[in-house]
Amino acid sequence: MAGKGSGHFLRRFCTITSNASAQKWSVAQVFKSNFAESLEGLKAHVSGSDFIAVWLRRTGSSSAAWHRVSSFDTLETAYSKAKHAAEKFQVLQFAVCPFEVRASKVVAHPYNFHLFPRDELEIKRPSYSFMCQSSHLASMVDEGFDFNACIYDGISYLSREQECLAKVWKGIPVCGKYPEKSSSSPSVADAVFLERIRSRIKQWKNSFEDSSTRNDEPLVRSMRKLILGSEEYGSRPSMTIDVCSQNQVQHALEVLAEFSEDLVPLTVPAKGAGAWAVRVILTSSKEDKNLLEQELQNLEHEQTKAFRGFREVIELISAAQKPIVSLNSLNDFTSIYPMFLAPLPSDVDEFLRSLRLVFPQVFDVNHLMKEIAPLGKTTSIATALSFLNNQFFAPVDVEVSPVTGSEGKHHGLNVVRICHLFAKLCSILRSAPESSQSDSSHQAGTLERFANIYRPWPSADPLDESISIWRNDTRRANCRDVVFLWGFEKGLSSKMLKSQLQGSHKVFSENFDVRLVDKSCAIVIFWQPGLSGNLLSIMNSSDLSGPLLDLVSEGLKAAGYETYMKLCRLGLFDADLADAFDHNFADDNGYSEDHSTRKNYDVHSNSESMIYLEEL
Amino acid sequence: MNHRCPVRALSRALSRALATAATSQAPTPSTFPLKNVTKSNFEPALESLREHVRAADYVAIDLEMTGVTSAPWRESFEFDRYDVRYLKVKDSAEKFAVVQFGVCPFRWDHQELRFIAHPHNFYIFPRQELSFDDPAAYDFLCQTASVDFLAKYQFDFNMCIREGISYLSRERENELLRRLEESSRFRHKHKEFRDVPLIRMADVLFSERIKSRMKEWHEKLLHDRNCELQFNESTNDSKQQLQTTFYRTRPALALSGFTPHQLRLIRQVTRNHFEDIVYVCVNVQKSCVQPLLVYTDCNTDKDLLLKEVEDENRRGEELKIHSAVGFRHVIDLLSSEQKLIVGHNCFLDVAHIYRKFFGQLPFAAEEFVSSANKHLPYIIDTKVLLNSSDILKYWMRKSKTSLSSAFARLCPEIALGYVSTDLASKACVKVEVQVDDVRASSWNAGAKHEAGYDAFMTGCVFAQTCSHLGIKFHPRSSSEILARDEMLEKYVNRLFLSWNNLDIINLSTGRVTGNSVGSTYCKNQYSKILFENIVLIWGFPHKLRAREIKECISKVFGLTSVTSVYALDKTTVFVQFKEAQLVSDFLVLKETLERNDDPISVLNPLWSLLEGGNTCAADYETYKEICSSPVSKAYFSDQARAVGIKWKTRLLNSKVPGQEGIRKQGASNLSLENAADSVLDKTNMKSNKSASDDMNRRRFSCGEILDSLCAHEVERVRTY
Repeated sequence: MAGKGSGHFLRRFCTITSNASAQKWSVAQVFKSNFAESLEGLKAHVSGSDFIAVWLRRTGSSSAAWHRVSSFDTLETAYSKAKHAAEKFQVLQFAVCPFEVRASKVVAHPYNFHLFPRDELEIKRPSYSFMCQSSHLASMVDEGFDFNACIYDGISYLSREQECLAKVWKGIPVCGKYPEKSSSSPSVADAVFLERIRSRIKQWKNSFEDSSTRNDEPLVRSMRKLILGSEEYGSRPSMTIDVCSQNQVQHALEVLAEFSEDLVPLTVPAKGAGAWAVRVILTSSKEDKNLLEQELQNLEHEQTKAFRGFREVIELISAAQKPIVSLNSLNDFTSIYPMFLAPLPSDVDEFLRSLRLVFPQVFDVNHLMKEIAPLGKTTSIATALSFLNNQFFAPVDVEVSPVTGSEGKHHGLNVVRICHLFAKLCSILRSAPESSQSDSSHQAGTLERFANIYRPWPSADPLDESISIWRNDTRRANCRDVVFLWGFEKGLSSKMLKSQLQGSHKVFSENFDVRLVDKSCAIVIFWQPGLSGNLLSIMNSSDLSGPLLDLVSEGLKAAGYETYMKLCRLGLFDADLADAFDHNFADDNGYSEDHSTRKNYDVHSNSESMIYLEEL
Repeated sequence: MNHRCPVRALSRALSRALATAATSQAPTPSTFPLKNVTKSNFEPALESLREHVRAADYVAIDLEMTGVTSAPWRESFEFDRYDVRYLKVKDSAEKFAVVQFGVCPFRWDHQELRFIAHPHNFYIFPRQELSFDDPAAYDFLCQTASVDFLAKYQFDFNMCIREGISYLSRERENELLRRLEESSRFRHKHKEFRDVPLIRMADVLFSERIKSRMKEWHEKLLHDRNCELQFNESTNDSKQQLQTTFYRTRPALALSGFTPHQLRLIRQVTRNHFEDIVYVCVNVQKSCVQPLLVYTDCNTDKDLLLKEVEDENRRGEELKIHSAVGFRHVIDLLSSEQKLIVGHNCFLDVAHIYRKFFGQLPFAAEEFVSSANKHLPYIIDTKVLLNSSDILKYWMRKSKTSLSSAFARLCPEIALGYVSTDLASKACVKVEVQVDDVRASSWNAGAKHEAGYDAFMTGCVFAQTCSHLGIKFHPRSSSEILARDEMLEKYVNRLFLSWNNLDIINLSTGRVTGNSVGSTYCKNQYSKILFENIVLIWGFPHKLRAREIKECISKVFGLTSVTSVYALDKTTVFVQFKEAQLVSDFLVLKETLERNDDPISVLNPLWSLLEGGNTCAADYETYKEICSSPVSKAYFSDQARAVGIKWKTRLLNSKVPGQEGIRKQGASNLSLENAADSVLDKTNMKSNKSASDDMNRRRFSCGEILDSLCAHEVERVRTY
């Protein structure tokens, strides 16, 4: 922040040396055919790097105006929108660039992975179908992107969850993990199940411990085996428990946790149809148990290596625990999450919580940019770079380590520009990660306050629940003072609408503003608190009069911010926002519903807007 | 076509490859490339195609799409009623894009007694050509498996995206023209301008400078009408920002190099200070807008000018819309020429053609059929034809009715370039293919699966089949067309309703019939499916398989109560009962068991189906409702949730029809309670007398029941 003031004085038309060399930069282009060797190279570069920049390219972005994250979105609605887009579109390019920062020099090692969600195992994964935006594809092809190469030779992948599914499909047993004991009391059926499993295991286990049976005749032994359902796993005795749902698997494991000293559980998918069983293996000692567990893990790892595909790269990045640099972290990580872990959760807190476990530190370049210049033109990496060059003196040299066989290939070059931009921003923010090997972690520490911020627009106060209305306006409004209006004449500009509203009723006599969300819907911001509630109740009351009555009788409707949040949360993304409001709340008697939820909303809205990962 | 069923298509390709290999010594067919049409050669290709189509007896078509089904459960199933099948086809045509369109006109040459075929392979792509159109209308879905299939045959995606011909449906075109009209009306209505306040010094100075420059120009115009050249020179120094030209015989100043803000200021100055100068924007060339200051003699001239400018701009926009029609010209041609269209298993193709080039697909199959018939009056499906006669079927023997195998078997001469000694192929119809100036009587366009080549194969198969059916080819007078041939007439407009089912829909009447026309041999005679006897169950424990579900329902309703159980996907099954009454009995019982959720309910055999608490059930109509939703989730249970179903059981009496019903909660019906109890009693009597039954009567506490159960069941291995 200190850099902000002095930076202006240092304004200079600094020479863009690094841009001149941009022509020479080349990016390793990775396809299925050269994936294995590239992965080895990447592994080495990741371990020697300070940061890892990522850049993703999808098959499109939302074409409807209101589906895009806007300045008036809270973290919650922004997440819903990003989730919607990430689920629709497919990532085709995934550029990864481990880089080191030395003084004012950046050494980058960019790799551009071409992905195609090919169904390699015939399990209809990772993606049954995906959406394409035709204008987006057309512009990619204009830039020279080779769709043929991407589709013919792109790398496929499976998320962790899909891998589990694939194992089920292919009948590969998985080491069971003991679940945490559920606090809620089990249902009647579950209680029956739990009790039965418990007594069965006891009996079975006892039969081995009971020395009196050791000397039995073979016939007796095999009879006992038959009765107890005992089998053998390798040289160790084992038993299979049939289960009929994931829930019961959990219950079985819960019971088995009580015998965890010498039993190793293994969940086995019955071949083909995906019916589960839990196999229990009895070990003779603690060492024997560790040995078995190691054995099982190695076996599993070998068997599933081929399943993971590109996920190896994400696993690698995650395992390195290096800070990640991204241009738009919410967009990128809503795409990465389902490729890496599992389908996106509906709740943003849960998303951030589990994301934090695998990517502890993520820097959003857009966010850093806004820290420096809240109103600066930062629409693209190029404009952001030239803006910084004009406003600040922060020379950064970028060196791209050449990768063999990538000469003249520039797809995914943006990832290098992100490294460049990030290094520049860091040096401006006076928290330059000038790391000598020893204290790199310490230096990165000063940056930490900017890490893991996924909310769409920055604000001075992290606990602020406000939204900003315009991208280039620092004024902030409370969500509660915002009303969505639709059903006005088509094609009206915000100015025209404002002049129509002005004087139509006394609520509009105070200072208010209008912004169009899309061509069908606008938001009204009351700068004086309480008026939004007035408007909503007026719209619903019978004693409407004057010009506002005319507008309402022509179809004008209104809803509060909670209704908008509900639309986003439920994923009801019609093309026009007005249609979304109309379709989904037509039978809800809109306004009164707004009022009933209004109260609850106030209670939790304090933490709703700005959530730092650190606080979780 | 082929990617509709990748496996089948693959086998087709294999069979072709095998067939080629087997006859390696025989004369190989000519290989020359297809005629590929992209946006760069579209105009001339369209002109030549026009002539070929006019002269043709029939036109064979084939489409390549980016996918077929948007979710696994949207695939075609045996338990789909014809209206559901249509909804699935509709969903497919709405979501996926057509990337290649093969058109192949066939003309009978009476002198040489052979057909002349002109295959065209159009690359098409839903590119947005009009900036003012809604971009969401150009989004499309890709099915990973289909795209991968296309890739296997080296489909050129780059060519398609970069060079593909765009198109606009008739409905979209009309909509855009209407919107244009609307927006011009809107401009009239909101004509008043508000002045930009001149706050910044730069604005004030700029306005003053422009004002004086305009004044200068204005005075010179009035005093000396021949001063233009002179004036031109004087403005040259200011970067040519103002240049005198003429607009429709009126002197004018062309403005260039100004920012939008400056233009707004110029406009304001003109409005406030010059009565006889008008600021207008005119369209020049394709997409450039040129702002002009035009001098007018009087107020009437001013009005006239404004009208002229507006009309011209309107015409410019309209022209842009017309030029965006693109590939639809080909479809318009086929439609206006009323030629017989030949496709192979082409109901989905017809739906695509309708959706992409005419307009939105209606919700009812009957409605679709009647309006499709208006646009394309004669369509014939070679697959229907191949299945129609016993002779053909015998002759095809075991080979599949897929396009390439039919082609290889029926037209070996064309496919492989040799004359077979096969008895049946004696009556082979000769086809000569012509691509630009190259002609050949046998042709292999390379290993690729291209729409143009597939259309050619379809046409050849059709010609051969006709000859087997005894249809004579002869030059036809203009009033006489092949489609009206009395032999052929009974096959025209009969299409298979979906890509793997034998229900045939008649495009002329809208009627759906069970199986082939004119054939006595039916291989698929299933017992009739009674849709009112069907219950749809989803969200049950995923260990359960169809057989187990059947068992557990039979335990309650009797051994013969369930006719069949069919899995839609792993989350959902159809259960067909013996009689319709059992459907409502089942739903009522399920609802009651869940509502009670006590130890007694748990002991009911049906409980294993309800375990987990997510099991939902409804009648067949709900399935149709869910199919009609534009949403597509991977699993049916997720789909049901996404569509907005919040209830767990829809009892028949509380049925709410239409889309509305889905969003509303299915209110449980109080009047049904008594019925529910009686059903429960009945089932308890029916179910096997067990220890638990006795306890039921003695009203043991829950805990007691549990204890005794555990004691009883310790030695049992399986749960339930």
